[in-house]
Amino acid sequence: MAEFHKLIARLKTALESPAPSEPHAASSNSAASMPIAPSAQRVELVSGFAREFEAVRGSFLGVLSPEEAAARIASLAREVGARLVAVGEGVTLDAAVFTHALQEGGCAVERFGKLDDGERPAALERLARCDIGIAEAHYAIASTGTFAVVGAPARPNSLTLLPPISVIVVHVERLVLDLAQALGALGPDLVSAHRLSLITGPSRTADIEKRIVLGVHGPKTLYGAIIWPRNG
Amino acid sequence: MARSPAKADFFEASRKAVADHELHRKLQSASDRHLDHVDETRAEFPPFESERDTARRIKEESIAHLDELLIELRRRLEENGCSVFFAADAEQARNYIVGVAKKNGLKRAVKGKSMTTEEIGLNRALIEAGLEVTETDLGEYIVQLRGEPPSHIITPAIHLSKEDVGALFAEKLQMPYTAEPEELTAEARKRLRSAFLGADLGITGANFAIAETGTLVVVENEGNGRMSCTLPDTYVAVVGIEKVIPKLADLSHFLEILARTATGQKLTTYTNFINGPRRAGELDGPREVHVVVLDGGRSAMLADPVMREALYCIRCGACLNVCPVYRRVGGHAYGSTYPGPIGSIVSPNLFGSAAGHLPFASTLCGACRDICPVRIDIPRMLLHIRWKESEDETRAIPWPRGAARARSGVVRFARLARHPRVARMLGRIAGAFLRPFARDGFLRRMPPPFNNWTAVRDFPVPRPRVRRDTAQEADSSGRVP
Amino acid sequence: MDEVALFPTCLAEEFFPEARDAVLVVLERLRLRVRVVRRAFCCGQPAFNEGFRAPARDLARRLVKSCEPGMPLVVPSGSCTSMIKVFYPELFADDPEMLARVQALRPWVFEFSQFLVDVLKVKYVGARFERTVAYHPSCHLLRELKIREQPRTLLSAVNGIRLVELGDRDECCGFGGLFSVKFPHISGAMLGDKLARIRASGANTVVANDCGCLMQIRGGLHRAGDAIETRHIAEVLAAR
Ligand code: SF4
Repeated sequence: MAEFHKLIARLKTALESPAPSEPHAASSNSAASMPIAPSAQRVELVSGFAREFEAVRGSFLGVLSPEEAAARIASLAREVGARLVAVGEGVTLDAAVFTHALQEGGCAVERFGKLDDGERPAALERLARCDIGIAEAHYAIASTGTFAVVGAPARPNSLTLLPPISVIVVHVERLVLDLAQALGALGPDLVSAHRLSLITGPSRTADIEKRIVLGVHGPKTLYGAIIWPRNG
Repeated sequence: MARSPAKADFFEASRKAVADHELHRKLQSASDRHLDHVDETRAEFPPFESERDTARRIKEESIAHLDELLIELRRRLEENGCSVFFAADAEQARNYIVGVAKKNGLKRAVKGKSMTTEEIGLNRALIEAGLEVTETDLGEYIVQLRGEPPSHIITPAIHLSKEDVGALFAEKLQMPYTAEPEELTAEARKRLRSAFLGADLGITGANFAIAETGTLVVVENEGNGRMSCTLPDTYVAVVGIEKVIPKLADLSHFLEILARTATGQKLTTYTNFINGPRRAGELDGPREVHVVVLDGGRSAMLADPVMREALYCIRCGACLNVCPVYRRVGGHAYGSTYPGPIGSIVSPNLFGSAAGHLPFASTLCGACRDICPVRIDIPRMLLHIRWKESEDETRAIPWPRGAARARSGVVRFARLARHPRVARMLGRIAGAFLRPFARDGFLRRMPPPFNNWTAVRDFPVPRPRVRRDTAQEADSSGRVP
Repeated sequence: MDEVALFPTCLAEEFFPEARDAVLVVLERLRLRVRVVRRAFCCGQPAFNEGFRAPARDLARRLVKSCEPGMPLVVPSGSCTSMIKVFYPELFADDPEMLARVQALRPWVFEFSQFLVDVLKVKYVGARFERTVAYHPSCHLLRELKIREQPRTLLSAVNGIRLVELGDRDECCGFGGLFSVKFPHISGAMLGDKLARIRASGANTVVANDCGCLMQIRGGLHRAGDAIETRHIAEVLAAR
């Protein structure tokens, strides 16, 4: 494409004007390998996460075993009168535990798999009609109360976007201290191959007189839980 | 160009804005609220200062290797399945996007908040091509309903009160009047949700483009950006060439400072990573992703060693909120997509001499540089633009008479001041001449060219005095006898 | 060091002679001999800021040549000090000979309050000033020279003074040199808010280190018929 080469030529000329030309240092000093927190640190990370998550108006469900989480979610669904709940495939967990609990509680559960392009609009409409969307995050960031949610065919990104109530869980071993650690843990390969969203609290706006209103386009309510299996 | 201000427009527009006390109140209170949040979040994050330095360094390096980085970005984006188009100017960018819309037979576009698309005047081009275009950021939606451009790069409707929005919604959306932000937001949600589900084209800008992974990063709070890049089948991102950063690991340094200064949050609600179209079998994401990489005057800024710094801007908008001029005239008076301090730098570069007055409309107070997360030395650049403007006769921009007089007056004063003795003598003569007209040492009214001074405050009559030989005592009122 | 040079600045010479005199009083009380620079009148900032570097250079050259490195040059103005210390090197970037002179002079140039606190290590000058004072930090002083605490240190050590805060994030008063007459409406709006803050603070005196700000604020107060007074910081420190 001619325009591209013209542009690059323009930039090269522009860059010839007096300018610092230090080596193009890879500024990454934090591409750490997956930092798995030892359990003493975990407690701190958990309490830090809970505090920050609440600070961004998330509702923290607690540190729960998968079964406890499933029961908690099922009772939540009852409380809000949910009829249709979307459940994404787990990352470390078997999402069946949530599905069963919800179905026992009388909810219809929407699951996902590979679909054809033709089925897509209807699938999106269905997801938009779900009352709750449930997803497991790849990582969570303690210092900001953030979930890093990675999309996959059975765990669509819009699971945490379209339903008005969102529940995101994360395995305790995947709790990291800060953003740099999270990006390091995710790594370039995962990031370039999947749809990733960092989610910090429910959807919000401050566009009218800088007053905060929740749920403008995405979920108005965001529940979060940390999964700490009994034997973990 | 998009909305090139007419000549001398800033004077007119800013005069009107200053007279609007209601506007002033709204700007002040929203800006102060913003700055309070910024102060808080910064104070509880000790590494803030060092993150600023790191982010700045990464920008310096990225911009200094822009050519290589863009080559890499293009390669990676294409590997990820995106179509990449490099647009030399706004027109090429518009034509390309309109072409995509025509080729795919697109009808309904939803847009995330994007100043770059404002800059290239994309909406009008799409509407003229027969598309329906809906701005979906709440603030953008509001100003679109009013038929206005945004007045702030982060808070587009900062110039409106909740009552203004209530009246607007009552009129345009036929809903019962309310000034409750909750209810207004709920109404917008309802309307825009169906726009999202019915759209076939999604458009956003991007805050960062990561060369290493071929990823665009879109930062937002509402979820509309996420919708725009997830739901419609065709997605277009319009990205300035300066947005590229080398590595994924670099991103955290920017995210740690961007939200803290832009909105006083630690992190925005959503940070969306976009790499390419959806893969086979996936529910999410467009079938086609087009990345329009825009020069539009930026390479000229790159070539200027002083202006280059403006390319480090991460569009956090904080310099607007802290600017004493912006806080009084608001965004529309600037007549440019980019108002405020950073706007006064980039507008003349992007939009030409029609924005020529803007670099002069500053007291050079430096508040913008202090708050800028990447420490852009805006006052210094304003000075440089002023030099170019004032010293190059061929660029001379037309000034209103009063301002033109002041400008020639200052040159005359400088010539006079080369002769200190003459200057002092003239001061004494002027003092003696003016004293009879003064009331306790001040003049209320003066003839041109000084009438612009007395338009808003009294003028003290010169009282030059020769040096005393010895120190004298001052009394406790502070006056030296 | 017992001799210092004083560059009074054009505004002080023409409009604030009492400020200039007060600087002399304070310095002489500190047992310094003061040599007033008479061969230069203006640092060149007004023309420089408007974009006219050539006439500014003429004035700058004059000033630099009237001063000697090795003798402290005291300037009772934040913006004129920053003109010399920060902007002269830019002004003479293409003139190696002048640039060398400027660089030699720069470390010897001090804003008045900076000179007292940082060089002389003086905090208490035996002043008495029984008024309620709001200190307005001028922009160049604060943001170009980063002089934040020195004036407050000096003021808080004045007998009988009551200091109050303006609480407006140290916002500009709207003077800005030629800005004040090219954009009088914006300058006036900024001034109006500054005056409102001053009144709300309960101060009966406004103190600043810059005659530009003082001229703007004093002119505004006088226009409003307000009894609140304005003082250069040196006047407060000279008061007994
Ligand atoms: S110049 Fe700095 S403060 Fe202003 S918008 Fe850009 S990054 Fe933010």
